[in-house]
Amino acid sequence: MSDAILTATGITRRFGGITAVDGVDLHVAEGEFLSVIGPNGAGKTTLFNLISGQDRMDGGKVTLEGRDITNLSPHKMAEIGVARTFQHGRVFGNLTVMDNVLIGCHVRLKAARSRVPVIGPVLELGKALIQPRAVREEEEAMREEARAIIATFGERLAPRIDNPTYSLSYANRRRVEIARALALHPRILILDEPTAGMNESETAEMQEIIAGLKASGRTILLIEHKLNMVMQLSDRVMAMDDGKVISHGTPTEVRNDPKVIEAYLGHSSIGGARPAARDSAEPQEIITVGPAQGRIGRTGGAEA
Amino acid sequence: MESLSSLMAMPWLDYSISGLVIGSIYALMAVGLALIFGVANLINFAHGAVFTVGAYIGWTCLVGIGLPLGVTIVVVAAVSGAAGALIEWLAIRPLNRQSRIAPLLATIGVALVLDQIIHIVFSPTPRALSANIPDWRLQIGNGTIGAIDITIALTAILSAAALYAFLFRTKLGMAVRATAQDDDAAKQMGVNINAVNMTVFGIAGALGGIAGLLVGLYYNSIDPNASFQMMLKGMVAIVIGGMANVPGAIGGGLILGLIESWGIGLFGASYRNLFAFVVLLVMLLFRPNGIFSRGKERPAEPMTGTFVTQTKAVTLPKPLIWVLIGIAVILPMANMPYITQVMTNAYLYGLAALALTLVSGTVGLVSIGHAALVAIGAYASALLTTKGLPVSLGIVIGGAAAALLGTALAYPAFRLRGHYVAIGTLALGEIVSLVILNWEGVTNGALGVFAIPPLEIFGFPLYGTKASYWFVLALMLLMAGLQVRLLKSHLGRTWKAIREDTVAAETYGVASNYYKGLAFGFAGFTAGIAGAVTAHQWSFINYDSFNLLFSVLILTMAILGGLGNVSGAILGAILVAALPEMFRTLAEYRMLFYGAALIILIRFRPQGLLGSG
Amino acid sequence: MDDFRERAALSRRAFGSLALWAMIAAAAPLAAQTSGEPVYIGVSGPVTGPHAQYGAQWKQGFDLALEKINADGGIDGRPLDYIFEDSQNDPRQTIAIAQKFIADQKIAVEVGDFSSTSSMAASPLYQRGRLVQFGFTNSHPDFTKTGDYMWSNNVPQSEEQPLVARHVVEDLGMKKIALLYLNSDWGKTSKDLFAEAATGLGAEIVAEEAYLGDEKDFRATLVRAREAAPDGFVLVSYYNDAALIVRQIRDLGIDLPIYAAGANSPEFVSLAGEAGNGVHTVMNFAPMSPRPVVQDFVAAFEAEYGTAPSHFSAMAYDTFNLLAAAMRQYGTGREDIKDGLGKISGLESVIFPEVAFDPGTRRISSPAVTELVVQDGGYLPYSGPGQ
Ligand SMILES: Nc1ncnc2c1ncn2[C@@H]1O[C@H](COP(=O)(O)OP(=O)(O)O)[C@@H](O)[C@H]1O
Ligand SMILES: [Mg+2]
Repeated sequence: MSDAILTATGITRRFGGITAVDGVDLHVAEGEFLSVIGPNGAGKTTLFNLISGQDRMDGGKVTLEGRDITNLSPHKMAEIGVARTFQHGRVFGNLTVMDNVLIGCHVRLKAARSRVPVIGPVLELGKALIQPRAVREEEEAMREEARAIIATFGERLAPRIDNPTYSLSYANRRRVEIARALALHPRILILDEPTAGMNESETAEMQEIIAGLKASGRTILLIEHKLNMVMQLSDRVMAMDDGKVISHGTPTEVRNDPKVIEAYLGHSSIGGARPAARDSAEPQEIITVGPAQGRIGRTGGAEA
Repeated sequence: MESLSSLMAMPWLDYSISGLVIGSIYALMAVGLALIFGVANLINFAHGAVFTVGAYIGWTCLVGIGLPLGVTIVVVAAVSGAAGALIEWLAIRPLNRQSRIAPLLATIGVALVLDQIIHIVFSPTPRALSANIPDWRLQIGNGTIGAIDITIALTAILSAAALYAFLFRTKLGMAVRATAQDDDAAKQMGVNINAVNMTVFGIAGALGGIAGLLVGLYYNSIDPNASFQMMLKGMVAIVIGGMANVPGAIGGGLILGLIESWGIGLFGASYRNLFAFVVLLVMLLFRPNGIFSRGKERPAEPMTGTFVTQTKAVTLPKPLIWVLIGIAVILPMANMPYITQVMTNAYLYGLAALALTLVSGTVGLVSIGHAALVAIGAYASALLTTKGLPVSLGIVIGGAAAALLGTALAYPAFRLRGHYVAIGTLALGEIVSLVILNWEGVTNGALGVFAIPPLEIFGFPLYGTKASYWFVLALMLLMAGLQVRLLKSHLGRTWKAIREDTVAAETYGVASNYYKGLAFGFAGFTAGIAGAVTAHQWSFINYDSFNLLFSVLILTMAILGGLGNVSGAILGAILVAALPEMFRTLAEYRMLFYGAALIILIRFRPQGLLGSG
Repeated sequence: MDDFRERAALSRRAFGSLALWAMIAAAAPLAAQTSGEPVYIGVSGPVTGPHAQYGAQWKQGFDLALEKINADGGIDGRPLDYIFEDSQNDPRQTIAIAQKFIADQKIAVEVGDFSSTSSMAASPLYQRGRLVQFGFTNSHPDFTKTGDYMWSNNVPQSEEQPLVARHVVEDLGMKKIALLYLNSDWGKTSKDLFAEAATGLGAEIVAEEAYLGDEKDFRATLVRAREAAPDGFVLVSYYNDAALIVRQIRDLGIDLPIYAAGANSPEFVSLAGEAGNGVHTVMNFAPMSPRPVVQDFVAAFEAEYGTAPSHFSAMAYDTFNLLAAAMRQYGTGREDIKDGLGKISGLESVIFPEVAFDPGTRRISSPAVTELVVQDGGYLPYSGPGQ
């Protein structure tokens, strides 16, 4: 516990009558791979939203390397190195693959951005207009790096680097999201069902990439339904149901925990089905939650 | 203590009665708007025009032909209902799968066309509209109520009852309600969305038309120019009531009427619209679901990220751009001062459109209050230079003032999205214009600013038509060039990311309010200098020089050219400024053709001529 | 009576063009009197847009004036004609039109635009282009101040309002006045001048309420004004606002005397209906004036358009006659007209018994007003208290 870089204690979030996350404790150590499993509606996404700042918790505390980061705004979370992907994928449709990944670099821009108070905005505009050498070099370096990250996805993304992401396939958009998260150089990488809606071979490919990330020593939090993948990748697993942690331990321990089995049986399916294509007009949708089940499903990609 | 007792002594009952009277008129407008917003997710700017159509059909029946009132109401409902349905069929349905902004603009085009038809058929002069209703009056409080008031109230209540019966007692009505709740689910259940939409536009049209007739009877006056103002009030009412909430719209209308009336009681009539729009802003910011909803949360905003259609922008080849610039530079040599002036105007529009396309296209904050930025720049420079500041300095300060003040004013609206931004900025624009009108000590109020010194750069006056043409052209090209540079920098992608998905952008470290502020700042500067240059060119400005119509016009330009597209904004500006000039020989048919051209352009190129950038 | 007027208005357009044809046919033998290249007046005004009604009224006055002028031999044998450019009362368009007119050597003099916003934006161009800008609807006190090419025969409020104030305070006996005014350059200027003159005569302005141009409902404002316990209402309003306010004053059961600036337009009478009875007003243009110039105009106007002339039509008619007189007397060159306007004197017009400009302000001096009361769909001359 003492080597945990991220610790969350007593996290609670209520929506009207229901308590979506109910006093959850969680910790991850440097370089550790923690998976969270649980039936649909267990509160996993909400938990991650709270940790990464997309939502505000009703109770609890989160610290990163001892620093209190409870309810920090999302962009401050990004600044301190928390990166996450979204369950339903949220790439910037009209931006190219390259630009999507460059947004991931945003927090690391030093020369282009300005943090001076009051005249900061004028400086940032000025530098963007004048493009002094430092800014140009920084931009070039970021692009170089982005290309490298994109290259880790092999031939999937590289040839489409200048295409707008709305023209990509569903799986490719999920890849762009991960590339964008990596570009942030995260201290902690949070992946919310990265293979949701992927077919078998795509899933295998994604698993390989995630395994690669783990091998490079990253600290990763994963939500996943595909238990095989969880078993193979995780150092530790946490199972949730009804907003509470019901089991916690090594992958085998959790898998064999009768409470977990019951939780899954109690619910009809293990879920993770690809969301139906529909418009984004969910009545319960608010800004703080992953939107648009199916923002992605709507614009079918033109390529494989 | 003393002021409190004088407050108590005010005739609140009388104010409340007058508030309810005007409020019920707003409510009539609002019901149709709310119905349409419910099923089509669209603010129908043509609703005001249908209101006018109803008034004039009513006049034709009552006064022209001499039909009895009962028959007239039926005819009005039928004709304006048909007009509503026709609008849906002609202008809205073809744009079904397009970005949400396209139908919005189409309704503006339709409103233009309908208003012009009324102008041409019935002449633009207001006329009296009276029915043979017995003239007795009943004393209530300090006021009176007459047969006409009762007739109006009765008609309104009967229409509301008919609407209720339709929505809750018929199959089609149920389909309408289902569609309003969730159009995809309704579609999957086999509801014919097109039929539902057409029905709703028809019903809304009928209600709007009846409203037009009743309001005309009530005031004994119909006026082809009243429609836009009425539509705006209806819009405020639905924001108060909760956009798609039909009973809420009625409540919203009454509440708006009351607030206005009490506000007039306290501060005077010149502030009436100021109240309406401040209420609107406050509602948007604090109760975006309307005051009748329990939840505090904003409803799903269906337009987030989809305001801009997913298209690839047309990039003009570099040589072509240089050729065009070359032509623009030598144009005044043709010695046609009229053309030169029209193009100077077009470039000034272009500057404003550049600014708008940045905030509305690139960042996705669709603004219908853009005139405010231009007006701030114009007033800042005009007021300072009439007090002796050099003109070139005044222009720069005008730009800076618009950048700072504009950003500060718009800042609270940064958390709004989609349609709400559009409505919020519209309110801001009106508020700025009304403050200019009422703040006499600084702005000279209704008299405006006179004897503004002519354009000059560093002491060299630019009297001639050609000189000011070149100056404005250079300014526009400079600002366009700067904007292109910004778009190529990290700011360009950051802004677009905010537009596409603000939450995701924030998650990746983009402080969206800060970057929206940067965009507004830069755009404000561009718009501000456009205003300042205009002021020096005209030598006289007043609160009406940059009005709502101007805002709508600039938005039209930006959308026509392709939202977010720099060359598109300029092309749009040139087209919008030049088209009416080309139609000039058509005299009173001119705006009719202009409106039609607008509708056709949107119909066939909804993403804008050059595509969204 | 009202119904008749309305129905006539519906077909006014058709009727007007018919009448025009008939007229052309009738005038054919006379047309021989004028020949050669016409002398052109450039008109900049609203034909479309929200102010199109005023442009339409202008045209009626212009056409009637041309008919008469050309029947009288035009300008030294050349026909007088005009080119009407639609500005929509939009300053962006008035400046373009100004460029057009200045460059077009055919144009001898410019007339318009409608509002001060749009007219004054073009003034610097006309001044530099040395073309007279004759703004006949421009009441803004600064309109003629841009330079010596700006002229106006619009009655200066500084002269008219003291006359109105005297009428209101002395004849109508209002001592505690509730003042409602349109918050525009015209309304504000007139209101200030009126208030000053009325207080000078010992009256008190107990309520002063500004309203916006597109206002329809004045009940709340009137309740507020009534609270000040006035003994009369003065409305600085255009005819349509004036009609709305007057009706609503009566609807509220307020039975105080009303003076309304806009009540001098025939449209007021039909819009206000019953409630208009007894409303006081003054007119520069008095259709019942016995002067033959006025009677000829009113008769010709009613014959041609089937309605009584509005103030704007009368102004338009006067303006063309005035310019024609200046051109006949001093020449059709642009400078001739500018100089000529300053010298004109003793000319009788529909509105002014005698037209003369103050060369310093380039406005008409010493206007006269006729005091009227609205009665049963028409006007009666004011004939003392107790009426
Ligand atoms: N914005 C919200 N408003 C209301 N209820 C919500 C909201 N977000 C999530 N919930 C509810 O919280 C519970 C947990 O949801 P979620 O965290 O998405 O589950 P999981 O990711 O484990 O499938 C569910 O019952 C869900 O309906
Ligand atoms: Mg989830």
